[in-house]
Amino acid sequence: MNTQAKFAAALLDPACPCPSGLKTWTGGDPARRFQVYRNNVVASLIDALADTFPVTLELVGDAFFRAMAGVFVRGCPPRSPILAFYGDDFPDFIGSFPPAAGLAYLADVARLEYLRVRAFHAADSMPIGAAELAGVLADESALPGLRLRVHPSLSVLHSRSAVVSLWAAHQGIGSLAQVVPSEPETALVLRHGLEVDVIEVSPAAGECIAAIVEGLPLGAAVARASSIDEAFDPAGVLGLLLQKSAITALIPSRRES
Amino acid sequence: MNTLPRKSITAASLALALGAALSTAAVTAHADDKMADKEKCYGVAMKGKNDCKAGAGTTCAGTSKIDYQGNAWNLVPKGTCEKTASPTSPTGHGQLAAFKEKKA
Amino acid sequence: MTKDIPCMQRSGGASVSRVGALPARGGLGLKPEHFQTILEHLPALGFFEIHAENYMVAGGPFHHYLTRIRSHYPLSIHGVGLSIGGAAPPDEAHLDRLAALLERYAPQSFSEHLAWSSHGGAFFNDLLPAPYHAGTLNRVCEHIDRVQERLGRRMLIENPATYVEFVESTLGEGEFITELVRRTGCGLLLDINNVHVSCVNHGRDPHAFIQTLPLAATGQIHLAGFAEDLDADGHPLLIDSHGAPVAEAVWELFRTVVQQLGPLPTLIERDNDIPAFPVLLAEARRAEAVMAALGDMAVTA
Repeated sequence: MNTQAKFAAALLDPACPCPSGLKTWTGGDPARRFQVYRNNVVASLIDALADTFPVTLELVGDAFFRAMAGVFVRGCPPRSPILAFYGDDFPDFIGSFPPAAGLAYLADVARLEYLRVRAFHAADSMPIGAAELAGVLADESALPGLRLRVHPSLSVLHSRSAVVSLWAAHQGIGSLAQVVPSEPETALVLRHGLEVDVIEVSPAAGECIAAIVEGLPLGAAVARASSIDEAFDPAGVLGLLLQKSAITALIPSRRES
Repeated sequence: MNTLPRKSITAASLALALGAALSTAAVTAHADDKMADKEKCYGVAMKGKNDCKAGAGTTCAGTSKIDYQGNAWNLVPKGTCEKTASPTSPTGHGQLAAFKEKKA
Repeated sequence: MTKDIPCMQRSGGASVSRVGALPARGGLGLKPEHFQTILEHLPALGFFEIHAENYMVAGGPFHHYLTRIRSHYPLSIHGVGLSIGGAAPPDEAHLDRLAALLERYAPQSFSEHLAWSSHGGAFFNDLLPAPYHAGTLNRVCEHIDRVQERLGRRMLIENPATYVEFVESTLGEGEFITELVRRTGCGLLLDINNVHVSCVNHGRDPHAFIQTLPLAATGQIHLAGFAEDLDADGHPLLIDSHGAPVAEAVWELFRTVVQQLGPLPTLIERDNDIPAFPVLLAEARRAEAVMAALGDMAVTA
């Protein structure tokens, strides 16, 4: 192994001794100085995760979070120098991390936090105007085949836990003691203007939006939502997307049915 | 197995929904109560995560490694999770006992 | 004759030019915490500097604010992820992202570090040290050549803050950087805090050491604060924390450099425990005051 490979290996593995070939001007032991690098690597990456997952941190407390993140950092260091997106697989890691198994909702809260970061940095896209949408009403028969392109920041998270309520309680909205963590909730995450919104929607509404994001035409998207809740009315979803400037293009069908 | 929705998705029903959506979107306040109360936004902490500083110096956790696969892991979540109600736990706080690796 | 720094009283930056060099004035690292304050008050300041990687995102508030701030101020883009001192050549995908960012914001200066931060596909988020000898010199020159070629511009390379040295090193840091500049045509980003930190950490006289650097190639200066620690033998070990005001010892070195080189674009770096904007602005003004008082001496010297 060359100098750099040895140095790199010892950064993440505390069981590795201080690499050989280092020296200090006093002739003393360089190990403690090497610690500066080791500490900075691990601590700065844990800090990056703490920035991305602040509610996850609050839920388990600083000591537990930093220890858990430390295990993750050593096993899964960033593969890219862009730290904004470091930790995309941290929620999965939490879900399979035995010491956190008692908190069934923790991984999904982390997923929600990651979706917020993703939304925050997502590409900008101009919404269509209400007039454009009103225009498609002129040809009613084309509506089921119409596809909506939505804002790149938008995503849906179906959770078996009360992710939105848990997250919101940490923003001073609602009381944590009132939240039943095992209550399933569906979250819609999107950026509206410069702000990231987290909105709780019904599971059927979430399914409809997810289908739209996947590129399904309106008719099929609504059908998918209706299979979850036969009383599903798309007016709420469409109104919400419009209100949040989340519809960015209308793509007419290629004329089949 | 009949998974088809009883109410079929007709062009007319979509037109109705879209029309309703347009009028509700114009009147900003949204009627759906589930959506209304939690959407207040607290912007993602706007922090640039890349920088060129060195932190921590020689005295921090860079060398302490807690091995959760051995029996060394003795940390219990001690945060706001303790305030959530958990119907599955007799204590009401979920199962927060220290994790111990099961011996094979 | 202390007229040398124009525009100090003017609201807004000295220039909104999209070409040319950074003005020889004080600048500040741009922090999202300060986006709104800056746009509201448009304080008189020579330039802002960003860390390139923070803006390698598709859209959203970072680009929204940077676009507006860029229209009022000159900009320096400072990379922290190219790993120029690395064993592997600079990552082409990362160079593409950098090229796009430079194209978009047309900064007056682009700089990176004499350090490595990636190895074997992992990114360590730290500026790690490289040994100084002919082998590493050739490699780093190749990397700088590639970066300058891909970006189509001259870059500045920053002298590092280090905590250990390598037995295998055969060149001094000053000699090494002088050769880099000579062979690649890159400029020097003279980080005076790093000079002080490294000299204390390696038992050198900073005034003597700084003269071994290719000072004539200096395109920008960095000033920052450090943290104090101790090594295993109880010797002081300074950490480049960017978490404190610029130390008096660093100001002293800065005065020496300004006397010798004249005014230069001078950045106050603060990445930790970030204070309110006016506190940082006062440090940038102090740098401008030093340059106004001493800068003329250099021209005639």
